[in-house]
Amino acid sequence: MQDMSLTDLFVSLTNRIGLNYEFLATGYEAQIWRDGFITTLYLIALLIPVSLIAGLLFAACLTSGKIWLSAPVRGFIELTRNTPTLVQLMFSFLVLNTVVSNMLGGAQNNPLSPFFWVVAVVGLHIAALHAEAIRAGIEAVPASTVEAARGIGFSQLQILRYVEVPLAFRSSLPAIVNNLINLVKLTTVGNAIAVSEITYASIMVWTQRDNVVSLMIVILLFFSAINIIVARIGLWVERRLAVPGYGL
Amino acid sequence: MTTATLSQPTSHRVLRNIGFLALPLIVIVWSLADPTLGREVLEWIPYLASGFMMNIVIAVLAMLLGTLVGALFGILQLVPYRLVRLPVVAYVQLFRNAPHLVLIFATTYIFPFEIVVFGHYLPFPDWIKAVIGLAIPASAYVAEITRGAILSIPTTQWEAAKGLGFSRGQALRWIILPQCLRRSLPPWMNVAASITMGTALASLVGVHELLHAATDASTAVRRLDFTIIAYLVVMAAFFLLCYPISRLTRRLEARFNAA
Repeated sequence: MQDMSLTDLFVSLTNRIGLNYEFLATGYEAQIWRDGFITTLYLIALLIPVSLIAGLLFAACLTSGKIWLSAPVRGFIELTRNTPTLVQLMFSFLVLNTVVSNMLGGAQNNPLSPFFWVVAVVGLHIAALHAEAIRAGIEAVPASTVEAARGIGFSQLQILRYVEVPLAFRSSLPAIVNNLINLVKLTTVGNAIAVSEITYASIMVWTQRDNVVSLMIVILLFFSAINIIVARIGLWVERRLAVPGYGL
Repeated sequence: MTTATLSQPTSHRVLRNIGFLALPLIVIVWSLADPTLGREVLEWIPYLASGFMMNIVIAVLAMLLGTLVGALFGILQLVPYRLVRLPVVAYVQLFRNAPHLVLIFATTYIFPFEIVVFGHYLPFPDWIKAVIGLAIPASAYVAEITRGAILSIPTTQWEAAKGLGFSRGQALRWIILPQCLRRSLPPWMNVAASITMGTALASLVGVHELLHAATDASTAVRRLDFTIIAYLVVMAAFFLLCYPISRLTRRLEARFNAA
């Protein structure tokens, strides 16, 4: 009951300055909108670990020195960096998804949902950007450090795991946080294939209510807030992991 | 050992050039291998090209508008008057963090479809709204780039200019900004590439651009192989435009870092 009256108070107050949030008092549209926010947050929470793990794998391939590992990954990175993510998503959903459906004998057997394709395409796109950042970090690790590790008997994989990645991760952290902010913004492309994230949910509401400006204000503040939080967490991690004796 | 170190750059260059041309090569070879498909592709290429022209027009206009506004806002972010500075800083923060798609939706649905000028009804087409929708984030990015470039110039240069009798505005115009131009070129090109790729988002609000044209074509022809090749053409077009920009950006970055 308390909650209800708060909503009413908000609606009447915002109505006085010309904004229309009346749909919040209704059950159905408010539910759609709330689910939109939750879907966007869920996408972000899922995509951050997915992109980081895939980015680390890509970076390992890039720096392996084996051309049959690095060339395909390099090709994928250049392709995904230089074509619009929306086009990649449409291609994946309309072409790859249809091919999968045909192989499994009909769309009803296809377990891959639009949600899956958004996670796959956006996750791999951001992973490619992470990989570039981590690769630059790995290449910045002093050769003498790597030689010392080899000298005390570390294998190639152990050097990567215990020496190169921890150092590279620290130096590439600013670029990674930048990519994560891009990731948050990219979740909106899910709109194109009817994943009901916040922009899709908002379209559902404003086609009924004609209150684009009111919804836009909330969406813009929502994305600003998420990105400020992501940037703050990034800064916190950066400070926690800072190597003593370097920088300020 | 020497042959390995010598041959590696060459093989990389060969691979890179093959990669650059791979997409158009796939399209051409496939069209030649299956003549019925090739005829369809040939028939639809002019339609797709007209769509791509729209992408380029939107990108160029959005970058032009975004650069003008952004350079001004970047300077305004540094003026000593809080009343001017704070709204500009808020604008930059808000729109730098906003998804491009959200801003395109905002301009498309908030602006009217026609405007009245001296009693004449002028149509306000969707593609101009998309230009404004992309110019907003572009201006926010360019403002940050301009601010960063101005701050990267040593304070002593301002002081020296003052000593030579330049006013603050004159020092900015004749001494600081010319140096900023060079420093901000690589990040500006990154923004340009990102905005160019953002033009594909305009298809979601019904602007007739390349992605929209490809969707039209594939629904008209209704063949899976044509759908695949149509989207490959879309990817190839964007790749051929954006890849040289990003290569050049990286070359410039490396050169400026070395200098």
